[in-house]
Amino acid sequence: MAVVNLEDLTKIYSGSQEAAAKDVSFTVEDGEFMVLLGPSGCGKSTILRMIAGLETITSGTLRIDGKMMNHIPAKDRDIAMVFQSYALYPHMKVRDNLAFGLKRRGFAREEINRRVTQVAETLGLTPFLNRRPHALSGGQRQRVALGRAIVRDPKVFLFDEPLSNLDAALRVSTRNELVSLHERLGATMIYVTHDQVEAMTMGTRICIINLGRVVQIGPPTEVYRRPVNTFVASFLGSPPMNLVHARLERGLDGKPLLRLGRQSIPIPERWLSDAEKGRQEVIFGIRPEDIFLRGSVPSYASTAGLQMEVVAVEPLGAETVLILKTDEIDQKVTARVGRDVGAKKGEKIEVQIDLGSALLFDPETSHVIEDR
Amino acid sequence: MSVAQRLKQVAFLILLSFYTAFVAGPLFWVTTMSLRTTTEIAHNPYALPETFHFEKFYKAWVNSNYNVYFTNSVIIVLSAVAILTLIGGMAGHCFARYRFRFRRFLYFMIFSTIIFPPQITIIALFQILVEYGLYNSRIGLILVYVAFQLPVTVYILESFFARIPSDLYDAARMDGYSEWSIFFKVSLPVALPALSTTVILNTILLWNEFLYAVVLIVDEAKRTLPLGIQQFMGDHLEDVGMIASGLMIAIVPVVIIYVFFSEKLIQGMTAGAVK
Amino acid sequence: MEVDQERSSLFRHQRSLDQPLGSIITFLLPAVTVYLAFTAFPVIRTLFNSFHRVLPGKAALFIGWDNYISVFVKDDIFLRAVKNTITWACLSPVLEVSLALLLALALYAKIPGARFFRIAWFTPVLMSYVVVGIIWIWIYNYDWGAVNVLLRGLGLAEWVKAWLGNPKTALWSLIFVTTWMWTGFNMVVLLAALHSLPSEVLEAGELDNCGWFKKLWFIVIPMVRPTILNLLVLSFVGKMKVFDLVWITTKGGPLWATETVATYVYKRAFEWSTFDLGYASTVASIWFVIILSGVLLLTWLFRQREKLEY
Repeated sequence: MAVVNLEDLTKIYSGSQEAAAKDVSFTVEDGEFMVLLGPSGCGKSTILRMIAGLETITSGTLRIDGKMMNHIPAKDRDIAMVFQSYALYPHMKVRDNLAFGLKRRGFAREEINRRVTQVAETLGLTPFLNRRPHALSGGQRQRVALGRAIVRDPKVFLFDEPLSNLDAALRVSTRNELVSLHERLGATMIYVTHDQVEAMTMGTRICIINLGRVVQIGPPTEVYRRPVNTFVASFLGSPPMNLVHARLERGLDGKPLLRLGRQSIPIPERWLSDAEKGRQEVIFGIRPEDIFLRGSVPSYASTAGLQMEVVAVEPLGAETVLILKTDEIDQKVTARVGRDVGAKKGEKIEVQIDLGSALLFDPETSHVIEDR
Repeated sequence: MSVAQRLKQVAFLILLSFYTAFVAGPLFWVTTMSLRTTTEIAHNPYALPETFHFEKFYKAWVNSNYNVYFTNSVIIVLSAVAILTLIGGMAGHCFARYRFRFRRFLYFMIFSTIIFPPQITIIALFQILVEYGLYNSRIGLILVYVAFQLPVTVYILESFFARIPSDLYDAARMDGYSEWSIFFKVSLPVALPALSTTVILNTILLWNEFLYAVVLIVDEAKRTLPLGIQQFMGDHLEDVGMIASGLMIAIVPVVIIYVFFSEKLIQGMTAGAVK
Repeated sequence: MEVDQERSSLFRHQRSLDQPLGSIITFLLPAVTVYLAFTAFPVIRTLFNSFHRVLPGKAALFIGWDNYISVFVKDDIFLRAVKNTITWACLSPVLEVSLALLLALALYAKIPGARFFRIAWFTPVLMSYVVVGIIWIWIYNYDWGAVNVLLRGLGLAEWVKAWLGNPKTALWSLIFVTTWMWTGFNMVVLLAALHSLPSEVLEAGELDNCGWFKKLWFIVIPMVRPTILNLLVLSFVGKMKVFDLVWITTKGGPLWATETVATYVYKRAFEWSTFDLGYASTVASIWFVIILSGVLLLTWLFRQREKLEY
């Protein structure tokens, strides 16, 4: 298996001023499932294609198991790729689609047949071996594309948004299959997606990419709980984290306060030490699930109360989403609460905010304020 | 459907049938004449054949050199079409798949010659072929035919190749195939429908081509069918029956292709005209 | 140093992969070579010829614009040929396309047997002009040709003519033949274009209670305008270069009545004893320019109106 190492990888397309990917550096450990996550057009596919050898590298180095791969052609990198559109050869049967890559590499006929049969077995494709792609469903084609990669027994697997063409139910089941596959094979896998649910459920680590640059790398829970800036904070999580403009100040009695609109909530002293450093305007980040109604506050939370007015109630069955507002703050605040909430539109309620999970961000740099 | 509408439809159909007779009539007539002797035709040009004189075809074939004309046409047309398909496919694949400087310029240059009249090239082609010893040769005519049909072939194939998703090429690249292998193992097989369209189209058009042949071929032994027919007509103006048989020898291959591939053929010949 | 080496090989690989230049050249070379040798170069050479006197065995003699002047000032036959060909090229498209449109609409309206008609009407186009020419020589035959037989049969004997032998009727007879040939082709194309129209628009016209003519003029025709333009251009260019048909039937006679520029160029270059390829090249060059201008004009005319539409 393999360790993939990127150092300052950059891609600038000829004729373009902007870099599609800039100074991308990370290491994928042996057997890791690394997800490259980011919005459409952020450059994640470009990075994947550079690793694959389908795009040339403008600058920086790519190493697999310590060996530099920049000028090694794609076919010699021992990498297999599963494409979003599956890219199955339409004029070949499934069997030949699976065997295509092996034939070229000079494997013996028996070996090819053995591998093809085995992989078909694993993926449930045996009844389809003699069909052509157009006679298969989307999910079946997906599995053929997967099989084509597995049959190669490569060092690294690359996935380019393989689930986006599947319907929702199929997506969930295929996701689980891919996770089991990873556990079974123990292979190094690099997976590109824009879907944060996929990223959170599948990745050993997530690498968030925006505008061609790496923004944050870390295990899912860490990236979720401790986002490094507002972009990451609002990208992960659904509904997204509430980001509200606020002000750090000292109250008349000397107590540290966070002012949100016309209300102030008491905050720990150390939050204010940042204000002493000159930072007063901040962005206050709190996730919807960390806002509770009075009476439903969990024991671990250390909370402060806010008065809000209900703007909309969205009963989702298992839970309810409340859209709230308060005076003088333009943004609406979203809260996820239990399913038996009887709040009504226009009603004024008090909510409890878990300060332990809340984050402060610098309004100018969008970076999280670390030491709170 | 009301009576009036029914009547309208019937009237329409009658009209259209007349038109069909008008269109297909002459061809049907030639077919009948090819099976009758000139004397029979002189008696009554429009009667149906009483005895089917199939031996006339044999006569034409053996005595009147139609075997030579036919063979020449087959050799020239098949060679030209084979070359056209290969180099047209290569060029179309290249234009569709790669982005390079001068791509649009080159494509436009080749494509624009579709509307060039043959007169602008025929005189110089005559000179060139003479100078290089290709005048009055099958090879010379084959090359001219290839150049003649190249624009339309490249046009049809390029637009088809362009619709092949590029992921397919990427996958082939990762599977270890060189650019050349990708062309032969991926592009061509996938583009088979378009390839067959151009093959059929080119075959028909070149089979019937006259102007270049009449300028560039002089030897009786190298004449193509259209030339042969013209020659025969000149020599035996009165022998209507035999001329008709000769015409059939030229028509029948086309009809056979049409019977089997009418859709393809219609598609090919009208390609690009529909927008 | 290692880093520099890596960097420069990086560069080389980048170029070679982003544009595999070697492959591109290999793929294009045959086609481009054939094109240059047998299309591009001959065009240039013909233009070159047009400014020279080109006699066999002698070097080309530069004579400047002499040929061009002769063509425009002294050449009656050329002028006649131009008149004939332009008449043909302007009339045929109109005839062929409008008739084709009507036929296509008839088939589109789901007449039973549409498939059969479509296949039947397309057949003339498959025939060589040589074949077509000979058949129509017989059809136009004075004594036993179908046309005259029909006329006599209908009691219209005074209308009987030597269609191809009479200078007054020869050209029109030939125009009739090409219309016979090409209407079916245009019809097939238009039918395909009609089928690709969104049916909702036509249905909306139905609801608006338009008469069939109004529907035609205001809805259908504008929507197939691009196709109509293509067909007109194709037909125009095709008639401007017509050679085969004339050569087989009348060879430009009688008395230049059917002389086209194509036949004239051929005669001038290869048949008449002047052997001067230069003059013929001049005629060809002039004609080339005229055709191109014609195409541009047609395109411009139609494109312009399309813009006004929006």
